Amino acid sequence: MKWSSFKYLVKQGWHSMVANRLMTLASIGVLVACLMITGVAALLSVNVTSYVDYLETLNEIVFFIDDAAPAETVEALKTQIPADGNVAACEYVPKAAAVEEMREYLGDYGDIMNDYAGEGNTENPLPASFRVSVTDVADLAPTVERIKAMGAYTATAEDGTASDANVFYKVNSPSELSSTLVNLKRIVNYIGWGLVAVLGVVSVVVISNTIRLTVFARRKEINIMKFVGATNAFIRLPFFVEGMTVGAISGVLATVVVGGAYYGLEQALLQPEALWLNEFTKCMWPFMDIIWPLLGGFVLFGVAIGGVGCASSIRKHLKV
Amino acid sequence: MATTDMIRFENVKKIYTGLDAKSKDIVALHNVNLSIKKGEFVFVLGHSGAGKSTFLKLILREEAATEGKVFVNGRDLSSIRQREIPYLRRGLGVVFQDFRLIPTMTAYENVAFAMRVTNIPERQIKRRVPYVLNLVGLAGKAHSLPQELSGGEQQRIALARALVHSPPIIIADEPTGNIDPELSVEIMELLQAINSVGTTVVVVTHERELAARFRKRTIMIDHGEVVDDGLGRYGREAAQV
Repeated sequence: MKWSSFKYLVKQGWHSMVANRLMTLASIGVLVACLMITGVAALLSVNVTSYVDYLETLNEIVFFIDDAAPAETVEALKTQIPADGNVAACEYVPKAAAVEEMREYLGDYGDIMNDYAGEGNTENPLPASFRVSVTDVADLAPTVERIKAMGAYTATAEDGTASDANVFYKVNSPSELSSTLVNLKRIVNYIGWGLVAVLGVVSVVVISNTIRLTVFARRKEINIMKFVGATNAFIRLPFFVEGMTVGAISGVLATVVVGGAYYGLEQALLQPEALWLNEFTKCMWPFMDIIWPLLGGFVLFGVAIGGVGCASSIRKHLKV
Repeated sequence: MATTDMIRFENVKKIYTGLDAKSKDIVALHNVNLSIKKGEFVFVLGHSGAGKSTFLKLILREEAATEGKVFVNGRDLSSIRQREIPYLRRGLGVVFQDFRLIPTMTAYENVAFAMRVTNIPERQIKRRVPYVLNLVGLAGKAHSLPQELSGGEQQRIALARALVHSPPIIIADEPTGNIDPELSVEIMELLQAINSVGTTVVVVTHERELAARFRKRTIMIDHGEVVDDGLGRYGREAAQV
């Protein structure tokens, strides 16, 4: 196709948008509404996921160490546990540090821990421990089992008999909370992206019907084009230009509306009155991080829907 | 196919298959054999439902023959590919009863449109369109919209659009069907003038009087069959009226 013809066809597409401005406005309105709902569902999904991810990081498994455990085995665990693929962080809390923590926790009554304080205090009843947080909460139970296995050793009794023993005599693992969080994240993702998919299909159907009306109104013109020898590509191009321009304009408008609302919400959550929502606010995606992907996504989605809508609407009229 | 044949039908049959099992198949054309030579002026005559429209659709390759072969301008339409059809149509100037002008375009734009859709450069369009508008006697109405023109003038614009590619064949489907009798003569004279410079002209009509008045070769179609070809009885009978 010649450049001059291409320019002419693009101009024709834009000209037709203006000539059929009511239909164009209707298409833009429908598409903006669909994109807005889709965008809100997607933003809700990513932010709830982000909050759930944050809650996951609060998970902590505590492995209590038996006082009788050999020091060299405990020492070896300090390097073995962090090497596990699902371990995000691992902190060794010695007996003395556990007493200090307890003293802090008891506040004004902390003094009762004085008798147990100090390195190597044999009166200290609190055990040493490893505090472990995991990367993937869904893999929590197997991770606990792997770490417990690392703590296995062979104990020799005073009479010389050997028996299987473990460094860890107790494990505190928030398995119920973790499975709840995993389920919550899964549900949010299914619903959020399910909504995006359904609304995407609805948008394609609605926009292709709207474009179909435009094409139907111009069927005479298409028919004339066919009889004077226009190729199908030549006939399609102005409609594609029209559909894709409508899609791009709708994408920008939807970004302005959804992005503006998101910015407003972000600002409102930063006010002192919303301090009680602080846990959620700090997990929220910042406006500047979402606005460009939102614009790109909306414009691409709009242009694709406009293009697909046109292609499906015009096919019937080309069979002449 | 002889080199001088512009249109040739060989044992052509066209059946429209029923949409469902209950609908009957319709035989629109049956055993049609004819040829139209370069530079000929031919009337295709027949009453409503005789098969004229199907005859036209086969030439324009809007429909494909069920049996037999159709040749247009040297091409065998039974083996033509879908994407070659636009190029076939560029060699055919078509004029319709209802003019088929785009109402939002001026006379100039309607004619230029036929050139633009076939990728012709703007420079060439600016030279050619005023020339053909002048040929049909409408140079002064280039900037008028179709609704500002009479039926005859609209048909002349349609004729200018058909002529703009200098096609070797002009096909006119009931060209005088929507215009006054005096203006019909004007259109027919214009078609004769076009024919006089070597263009093949095929006029499809149901008006016997028209065929009789111009005393040209007349192909009569009835119930899907060619029942007469030449300056036959229909032309003669009408001429005697």
